[in-house]
This record gives sequence, C-alpha cells and structure tokens, in this order.
Amino acid sequence: MITANGLTRRFGDITAVDDLHLDVEKGEVFGFLGPNGAGKTTTIRMLAALIAPTSGEAEVAGFQVGKDNRAIRQNVGVLTETPGLYKRLSALDNLLFFARLYGVTSPRKQAERYLRLFELWDRRDDLAGTFSKGMRQKLAIARAMLHEPQILFLDEPTASLDPEAAKVVRDLIETLSTEERTIFLCTHNLDEADRLCDRVALFKTKLIAGGKPQELKERMYGRKTVIHLADPAAGIEQALDLPFIKRIERMDNALVISLTDPEKENPLLVKRLVELGAGVQYVNELRVSLEDLYLDMMEGNHATN
Amino acid sequence: MPRIKVVLMKEWRESLRNKMILFGAIFLPLFMVGAATVMVYQGRGIDVPGVQIALFNTALMYFLILPAIIPLAIAAYSIIGEKEQGSLEPLLATPISDLELFLGKALASVIPALVLTWLSFGLFLGISIPLVGGVPPHVLTPPWIAAIFGLSPLLSLFSVGVTLLVSSRATDARAAYQISSFAIIPAIVPLIIYTSKKTLVSLWLIGLEGLVLFIASVIVLYFAIRVFRREQILTRWK
Repeated sequence: MITANGLTRRFGDITAVDDLHLDVEKGEVFGFLGPNGAGKTTTIRMLAALIAPTSGEAEVAGFQVGKDNRAIRQNVGVLTETPGLYKRLSALDNLLFFARLYGVTSPRKQAERYLRLFELWDRRDDLAGTFSKGMRQKLAIARAMLHEPQILFLDEPTASLDPEAAKVVRDLIETLSTEERTIFLCTHNLDEADRLCDRVALFKTKLIAGGKPQELKERMYGRKTVIHLADPAAGIEQALDLPFIKRIERMDNALVISLTDPEKENPLLVKRLVELGAGVQYVNELRVSLEDLYLDMMEGNHATN
Repeated sequence: MPRIKVVLMKEWRESLRNKMILFGAIFLPLFMVGAATVMVYQGRGIDVPGVQIALFNTALMYFLILPAIIPLAIAAYSIIGEKEQGSLEPLLATPISDLELFLGKALASVIPALVLTWLSFGLFLGISIPLVGGVPPHVLTPPWIAAIFGLSPLLSLFSVGVTLLVSSRATDARAAYQISSFAIIPAIVPLIIYTSKKTLVSLWLIGLEGLVLFIASVIVLYFAIRVFRREQILTRWK
C-alpha cells in the first residue's frame, strides 16, 4: 500500500529524511516512532503528496509520489499534528467543506454518517471553536475519513489530549484497523504503539529498526525468564549447568535467564533448580516494553538490525 | 460543486462571523456614500472651476477607495486565519490545486468588494439625484463610468495580490492589514494629482491609470501565485 525507496528530503543543508525504505501492507497499522524533529511529519508530507522528495521514490495507494499527486491526495486521509479546524464554522460546516473538496457524492449524508459515528451529531451546529480538545480531535479524524480513504496518516493523534480523550481516540483507531484500512501512525506514545500497531519503525532522520513490536524486542533483547527464589544460595548460577542457558544475571532474589525457546526450556530449568534445592517461588517471562527498546535504540545502545 | 466555489463559499461563511470584516463591509461603504453625497451637493452650484473639480474628484476617489480597501480585511483574515487555526495543512491535503485555492481565496475578496462598490454607487445616485434635483454634473459621464466599472476590478485585484503576498509572510492579521494598506495608494494618488493640477478626470487619464494598474496587478498576482504553492506554504510560510 505504501512503499518508499531511498526517500530523502533536504531543506538547504539540513537532511530531514535520509534514504528511507518502507513497505506498509494493506490493512496494517504501521507505527512510525521517533523523537521530535526526527522527520516524521516531513515523511508524512512526502507520502501524502504535500511536499516533494529531494530524491528517492515512493508509491502510495498504487500512485507514484511526484507524478500522481492529486490522485494520492484523493486516496489518503491526513490527520495533522493540530486538528486545524475552522473555529468559526460549525462541526457540520467543517465536514461539508471538506466533503465537497474531496468530491464526495452525498456530502451531507456522509458528514452525518461520521458525526453520528463519532458521537458528535448532537453538537453538529455548534462552532468547532467551542469543542473540547478530544471532540476537536474526533472531528479532525472524521474529516480525514470523509472520503473513505484507503490510507490514513495520523500524526500524533493523541498528543496533548487528556487520558480520557486519548482513550476515545485510541478506541477509534482500533475500530478503524478492523476496517481493512491502512493506518500510518506517528506517535510518541509507545504504549499506544505497542497496543495498536502491527509493525513499527523506529526513525530518527534514518530508519533505525523496523518490524513487529514483539519480534523487535526479541531481536534486541532475546527472551528471558525471571525465576524468583525464596533464598538463592551463593553459586547457584554456576550450578545451573544446562546447555541451552545463554546467560544468567542476578536481580535481588531473582535470576534472569536468557533462553532461546522458553516454552521448551523453562520446564527443564525449573526441574534442575528444584533438584538443586532452590525454593522456586514463581516464574515469569521478562517483558521488555517498547519504551525500553525505543530509548535504547535512540541512545544507540543496540546496533541497527 | 467546483472547488473554487467551495472555497469561496467557505470564506464568505467565515467572514460573516468575523465582526471586523462585517463592520468594514457595512460601515465603510455607507461612510463613503455619505461623504461623496456631501461633496457633490456642495459642488453642484459652485462655478469656481478648481473647487468644483476638487469636490467631484474627491467624490469619485471615495468610490475607488472602496474596491481597494474592502478586500484587504477579507484577504488578510483569510490567510492569517488559516495560519492561526492550523487549517492550511488539512486543506492542502485535499485534491484541490494550488491555483483553485488561490482563485477561491482571491475571488472571495474581490467579488464582495466590487458588489459593495457598485451597490454604494447606486445608493449614492439614489440619494444625490433627488437631493441635487437631477443627475449631479460629471457623475454619469464616460470617465466616471469607466473609473467605477473599469478601474474598480483592477484596484481590487491589485489589493488582493498585495494582501496575499504580505499575509504569506505575516503572522498577525492586523499587521498584514496595516502593511497591505499601501495597496490603496493607486486609488488615491492619481486623483490627488489631477485635483492639484485642477484637471477633471478624463477617459484618457482613466485609461492610462488602468493600463499602469493592469501591469502592476499582473506583476503582483504573478508573485502571489508563486508563493501560493503547497511546497512554499508548508515549508516557507511563517
């Protein structure tokens, strides 16, 4: 649905996006993660045919960036970082304006459909300037979807929203992801990305890493089992002489053990510990958050993979 | 609905909710009509040529200021308003072309300016004819008609071009409005010069002014269209 090959954008001497290669599939929620100033918005602007790349090429919804810009804009929906609503127009007028610009066949019907879907129908005649942040964001998402685009670019959709409003928007994205739409999600909220995205890309001017969140974590950190012991004897690490153990670290009363295939290896590990007389209290998988991964990657603690 | 019309209707809908624009669009024409009526009423019986010329040239000047000044507020708020609301990017993400957007915004300023100017002129005739006891001298002559109907559109276009150019760099509507106000100079200066030379406007003078204004408008609009490109708007505009 979205492919980019060597996509690059420079502003004078500054390179905002450098040699980006991407392949986003249909119906996928793709998380594009990176710090402020990483070039995420510039990437969206290039892919949505708003600004031209300096070099490289991209195809969006089957259309070539730079050649079929109007067709791309007709087939994508963009939620910009700020809702960008016309505050002196009502919610309905905001949607009608965009529906007509997109050439929607029945603008009023379509506007009503989305206002109802996002529970804004009762406030349709109120000026957008009187809406709360969450309502504005919902209206902006409705605006991005009015023309039923195949691809949605969402730039920080929950930034600056209170937790309640952010949840409403996240729930909306979850609903949208079930509709076979491709969603390109730029976010700082790593927990949100972990929950919503099928795949993520970590980006800071260049692509640092990409893949399914779980796979990325495993690729970076391996799989670890944490075994809490009642009273771990000194030297128990050395006594655990099983060949599949890659590494053992001690964390207070727990052992953190790097394994290759925990599903098979954990029972053998626990059996051996019991044989050694260790009081096994409980066994957990060590869960690394996407945030840990992100911070390590951005600080360069792990090699690019 | 053509996209130019969609933009135009949106601009008008927003303008109708902007008190400053509304005030300017209602108060200014009424003020100009009143002032022009006083000029021709005072000038009707004066047979001192220089004084009569000054009064009638000033009356005409009022009707030439209108098409230049009305678009200033509409165009300035149209661009700065988009900037303040952050609505330019979602707008540019639609399939509208740069030229359609430019024309939609420009026409949204030019059309009301011309309609209000011509309505004001009609109102002026409606008040001054019974007041003076007939059509005031010079008023329905070819130079006046050419000025009101020929120069006005050019004055509006020039004014819109200047305002859009200034607004692309400004972040405050009032500042843009003030800087752009020099666009009304072509509506004032020539008539002041004629008056100082005790010359009543003639078709030749209106034609010459029109030609200069046409060239100036083409140059200003050329540059305005150049800055009105997606890439420029998103990467260069403040």
